Amino acid sequence: MKNNIKLLVLLFSFGFFLSCDDELNDLQPFVEGNPETFFTSVSAFQNGVDGAYRQLWNYYSDPGSGLQGIPDILSDNVTLVRTGRTSNSTYFDYRYVASTAGPIDFYWSEAYEAVNVANLVIAQIDNLADGAEKDNILGQALAIRAWAHFDLVRFYGKIPTQSADANASLGVVYIKAEDGDTEDPLAEPVRETVASNYAEIIGDLERAAQLIGEDNGEGKLDVNGVYGLLSRVYLYNGEYQKVIDAANKVDVELATAEDLEGLYTDVNEAGLVVELAINTSSESTGNNVGVLYSQTTASDVLEYAFDFDFFNSIDEDDLRLGVISYIGENSGNQYNAIAKFLGETGEVNGRVDIKVLRAEEVLLNKAEAQFELGLDALSTLNELRDLRYVAYDGGEAGQDLEDAIQFERRVELSFEGHRFFDLKRRGEPVMRSTMGDIIDGSGTPPDFPTLAADNFRFQMPIPIAEINSNQNIVQNPGY
Amino acid sequence: MKQKLTWMLTPLLVLFMTFSFAQEKTVTGVVTDQSGLPLPGVSVVVVGTTNGSQTDFDGNYAINVNQGEKLRFSYLGQKTVTMSVGASNTINVQLEEDAEALEEVVVVGYGSRSKELSTSAISTVSAEKIEAFVPSTSIDNILQGQAAGVQVTAANGRPGNTAFVQIRGVGSINAQTTPLYVIDGVPIPIDTERDFNPISNLNPSDIETFSILKDAATVSKYGSRGANGVILITTKRGKAGEAQIKFSSSYGFGEKIPDNFDVMNASQKLELERQYAALGVGAATSTPGATSSPAELARLISLDTDWQEALLKNSVIQSNNLSISGGDEKLTYFLSLGYDKNSGIIQNIDGFERISTRLNTNYQAKDWLNIGANVSVSRSTTDLPRDRNNVQNPISAMYTYNPYEPLFLTNDDGSLVTDSQGENVYNPTRQGFQVANALITEPEDTRNLLLIGNLTAGMTFSDKFSNNFSVGLISNRYNRTSRSLAGGVLNSIVGSAAFPGTQTDELEVDFEYNVNNVFTYSDTFNGVHNFSASFLLEYNENISTDLLASGRGFPSPSIPYLDVAAEATTVGSVESRRILFSQGLFMDYDYDGKYILSGSVRRDGSSRFGPDNKYGYFYSASAAWNIANESFMENSIFNTLKLRASYGTSGNQNIGDFQYLNLLDFANTYNGQTTALPVGVGNPQIQWESQAIFDVGVEFGLFNNRLNGVVDYFKKNSNELLLDRPISYTVGDENNSIFSNIGEIENSGIEVSLSGDVIRTQNFKWTLGGNITFIDNEVVELVDGEDIVTGTFGDNILRVGEEINSYYAVEYAGVNPANGEPLYYDLDGNVTNEFSDSFQQLQEGKSPIADFEGGFYTAFSYKGFGLRGDFVYKGGNYIYNFQRSSGISIGNIASSQRVEAFNYWKQPGDTDVLPSPVYQSNADQTSTRFLEKGDYLRLRTLTLDYNMPRDMIDGIGLNSLRFFVAGQNLFTITDFNGDPEVGLGSAESGEPGDTGFVPGSFNLFSYPNTRSYTFGVEVGF
Repeated sequence: MKNNIKLLVLLFSFGFFLSCDDELNDLQPFVEGNPETFFTSVSAFQNGVDGAYRQLWNYYSDPGSGLQGIPDILSDNVTLVRTGRTSNSTYFDYRYVASTAGPIDFYWSEAYEAVNVANLVIAQIDNLADGAEKDNILGQALAIRAWAHFDLVRFYGKIPTQSADANASLGVVYIKAEDGDTEDPLAEPVRETVASNYAEIIGDLERAAQLIGEDNGEGKLDVNGVYGLLSRVYLYNGEYQKVIDAANKVDVELATAEDLEGLYTDVNEAGLVVELAINTSSESTGNNVGVLYSQTTASDVLEYAFDFDFFNSIDEDDLRLGVISYIGENSGNQYNAIAKFLGETGEVNGRVDIKVLRAEEVLLNKAEAQFELGLDALSTLNELRDLRYVAYDGGEAGQDLEDAIQFERRVELSFEGHRFFDLKRRGEPVMRSTMGDIIDGSGTPPDFPTLAADNFRFQMPIPIAEINSNQNIVQNPGY
Repeated sequence: MKQKLTWMLTPLLVLFMTFSFAQEKTVTGVVTDQSGLPLPGVSVVVVGTTNGSQTDFDGNYAINVNQGEKLRFSYLGQKTVTMSVGASNTINVQLEEDAEALEEVVVVGYGSRSKELSTSAISTVSAEKIEAFVPSTSIDNILQGQAAGVQVTAANGRPGNTAFVQIRGVGSINAQTTPLYVIDGVPIPIDTERDFNPISNLNPSDIETFSILKDAATVSKYGSRGANGVILITTKRGKAGEAQIKFSSSYGFGEKIPDNFDVMNASQKLELERQYAALGVGAATSTPGATSSPAELARLISLDTDWQEALLKNSVIQSNNLSISGGDEKLTYFLSLGYDKNSGIIQNIDGFERISTRLNTNYQAKDWLNIGANVSVSRSTTDLPRDRNNVQNPISAMYTYNPYEPLFLTNDDGSLVTDSQGENVYNPTRQGFQVANALITEPEDTRNLLLIGNLTAGMTFSDKFSNNFSVGLISNRYNRTSRSLAGGVLNSIVGSAAFPGTQTDELEVDFEYNVNNVFTYSDTFNGVHNFSASFLLEYNENISTDLLASGRGFPSPSIPYLDVAAEATTVGSVESRRILFSQGLFMDYDYDGKYILSGSVRRDGSSRFGPDNKYGYFYSASAAWNIANESFMENSIFNTLKLRASYGTSGNQNIGDFQYLNLLDFANTYNGQTTALPVGVGNPQIQWESQAIFDVGVEFGLFNNRLNGVVDYFKKNSNELLLDRPISYTVGDENNSIFSNIGEIENSGIEVSLSGDVIRTQNFKWTLGGNITFIDNEVVELVDGEDIVTGTFGDNILRVGEEINSYYAVEYAGVNPANGEPLYYDLDGNVTNEFSDSFQQLQEGKSPIADFEGGFYTAFSYKGFGLRGDFVYKGGNYIYNFQRSSGISIGNIASSQRVEAFNYWKQPGDTDVLPSPVYQSNADQTSTRFLEKGDYLRLRTLTLDYNMPRDMIDGIGLNSLRFFVAGQNLFTITDFNGDPEVGLGSAESGEPGDTGFVPGSFNLFSYPNTRSYTFGVEVGF
């Protein structure tokens, strides 16, 4: 009897383990999906496309490094407020090197992530039946892929119109699933030329324009968005007639001066052609892009304020002035502070949608192209000025007209991530005010007020992590 | 039947006899050992009863007994003596050493073995060593310096935080190098990737011994979990005899270990600002030192604030422990209750608090069945300060805030500014962040409820066959609450005005069960051939679920529950599981206790690997020769002399789940909508990391075991290393890395531990002991021979033939004495005044890994007094001193600076100086300028204690009474500019599990280590 019990106990002890091998082999991930099998429906593909938008939003809206503001910090639109946290001062002072944290590392990483998702969608698009829905998904993915590469090449490479050697100089790696670029995770690809990058960007965008839908709702690209992007890319590429043609295809009304306040507090979407949106309720801890310029606590903590000369060049009849600036106070000093990204109505948390491309830019792209081709740019410029000024002189021609277009562009698009690229693509230097940061021009002037047009720092260094993990990548000159 | 009757009658007879002859009296006496020294802790029991006592420190005992009864004196390693109680009231006993019983037992994998018959390198740390430490210390920190080959680095000084423990060097270069902890047979799941480490929730007072398994002979038995070494923890058990009640209580305080450098005071800082501004440093021109009038300067100087004082406090450390243990021949028990608190040294937040209970029981249910049940429950709470590299972290803030900016805002006349409620207003300072206020308004705390239970059933079928079945369960409930109070510092910056206040609650439940069965056959042939074989089946599954919710809009900060939130913002739940299923065969053979052979084979299947690589095989073989047992060694000075050697393999599967699959993640939303994002490039080829260890060692005991020592040589080759290997960003991977098997590393070294009684007399004893480990390490092979740059900031590199994680940095060439310009070496070795990241080069022989480290102790005892000092030391490692860099950076002139910053180049010919501030761009760069040697020697603990003699406490009904005073980290010798004990640099920048994380590679304002003083008392009833 006793031995039987012992035997039973022993059998029980061993028996427990009988089914263990099955348990081991059947285990699958719980909350993740399989990228090879997930994309089978339109809604699944839309999840992928939304993922790609999310990646773009990541690097545009980042409170420390957002592309919505860094190009202004690198330019002559702002000056560093010395009583702030001096965030991004390495960028403002042109002290960055390949290992500098922030945008240099961040954009390279995040933009390629956007490209990766877009490629995932593009590679499997034939899982959907032919038709408008498939075209719309593919159109968005192609446009996002082009957009992310465009941001990369304009930041790390030269811009075709910047200098004669630009097209032949090193751009970035253009990753296309169709070409098999996405197959090897251990690939160490080489940089292609700027010209090749622009050809592929334009190729993807032109194809997207034929495929994408009319209206995809807030925060998503549609046919207006793609043509808007094309008008910008053609301008960077010096294809002026195409700028005009693309601009003409963008059917979005300009924002009136009255609309502007609501535009920057996300009450309306007047003039928005491309935006990256945030749902501030369900994404209440999402990025607050306004922190690039200031934080509001008990008092303002300003990071950057208007460049003294820039502020004073703005006409007092300019209806924008009160929308884009306010008097900020910190440590007993007053500053011309930046008001565009303070938050939604009633908020001071800096959490707003990213204004990537507005009808006003499309119009100014067109005006600049018209000027370059000797067409009537003045009337185009005046369409905007009529809406922005109580009164203005106008009637410019020649160099004055060119200056007027660029001035209008600087003011209208100020702090939205354009200025550095506009100077760069036009081969112009950064010439900051030599006055101080405080409202009356006292305080501390920039350490480096001028960046000559041919300075290597117009091209950001390839991040050190890429240099270290990819033996085939070549660093930009100067770093 | 007849026998039963006898048993039934016996108690009656005893009762009867008791009534007849009851003549109770108190017998006292002294118990000594063979050499006449008093033996404390000897168990004295009245035979046939549960009435018992123990000898005190001086070997004295006292017991109530009836004449005619018998007293049994027993002590581990001594022959048990039974004495009849006669007329005399004094019975002195001299115990004799029991050669057989002296066979000290060591806990090895899946069982225990007599130390003499062990073929393995095992270090044991026992209870008395543990007791010297501050009670709230996590148990892994206690191991530092206690055992050869065990490298322990405190993660940081945060109370309740655990340590980085490495056994015999870096076994793996993926960050998870934590050994496997097994407590009473239950493996403890540790996931450093998500900060899950139940070790901090164990009560050190419950622990009897740590056994550290270091070589293949034992770790191979743990197969895929053994590569980082195994630490077996055995908790205390009851002994047959009268209940022993012990109570101990201690109280003390701690403070940050004082800096070994000076931070500027207000007038120094203002002067430096003036000097920098005069030199044209842009960042200085708006500083008060540059712009203020003399009157204003005087006012600022009068505000002189020591931010360390403002943000830190003395911690209060408290500990209370109660234990009751005892039993009879069939049932033993150990019951304990512990309470520990360490308030930490940061103002306005509470630190760590733990309450723990344990019940260990053992019951001989049948003559063939022994049942054991151990259950422990503990709960701890920890307040978490922000550990990041900015002023939201109070430790960063105290080195960043200017000394002329006081804690509270002041008016020009020096009076304090008050708000509308009459409260003082915290100064946001020029950093724009009221860090002291943030500690109040941004609370975050975690609570852990840990339950560990195990049931064992040992069955003896016959002399030859036995079986041991055990089920271990470990369950941890982790709650985290983080809040931003309405109107608080962060809420006013990033919160919503419409919905003031945010809160996030997280609940994570970890459940792991481990079932194993060991079936053993053992036999002896011809009386000298001893053979045993065990077959193991083991199934281990870990299930973890997590639930997270957050909301915003709170009516009052005093109701910290999501129920009252105006709006729910985020919710989430996840689950993860992993499974390990194993079979093993272990064999042991010895010939007459002289020649010993052992071998093991184990097969593990892990859910962490793809279908092609699911199973791994691990084996070991070892041998030992007990030279001291040979006849020719009789009468030699050696009591113990053993040679042993082992070779074997073990594995490492400490990687995330499903790394072999490409995965798509849905955790993020875009504009409120679901997104599908690839989260990792899967690598279907990944396979087990395996490790081969060769070990030879000699163990010896001399002069009646007065001098004991162990010397080991080991060589450990880790193959198919698993590493989250950096890949090109252009792939678009989330963390730009892929888990791969990337090559091979080798660690080899020598471990020596020695201890000896220098003086051993009746009243005075002086013991010295210590250990040292020398380790050499080298990268042997990498995929395609290509370097891999790693480290949180890319400052470390793996290169074939070089030390693991050697520093990869631009080499600083000092300051040009002619003009004060910083100079660097380019890749051709030329000195240049340029700086470029492309000058980064491997710094030969400089890595965060120490060349040698260890600990030593010295203990004196005189009558009841004891004095013991434990030292730890380490050398040959380098640390990137980011804290110093930040404290003297020219661009940081608007923040607090170290006094050292004055020592910049001022005139031609200046040498041994910092670069001139005019060369800010090139000076403020990462280079070897801040790469410093991390050598140190630290007095870890110093304990003075006094045991009251028995005759003084007898009258008050006590068995023992001990007072002690202990100090921790009382002094440190180092050349490092800062605290050299660096584990975690900055939790936010790089934690274990993060790509490239290398422990101890840099400091960056993590929670500082503390020095503490405690006083305590222990009472035994």
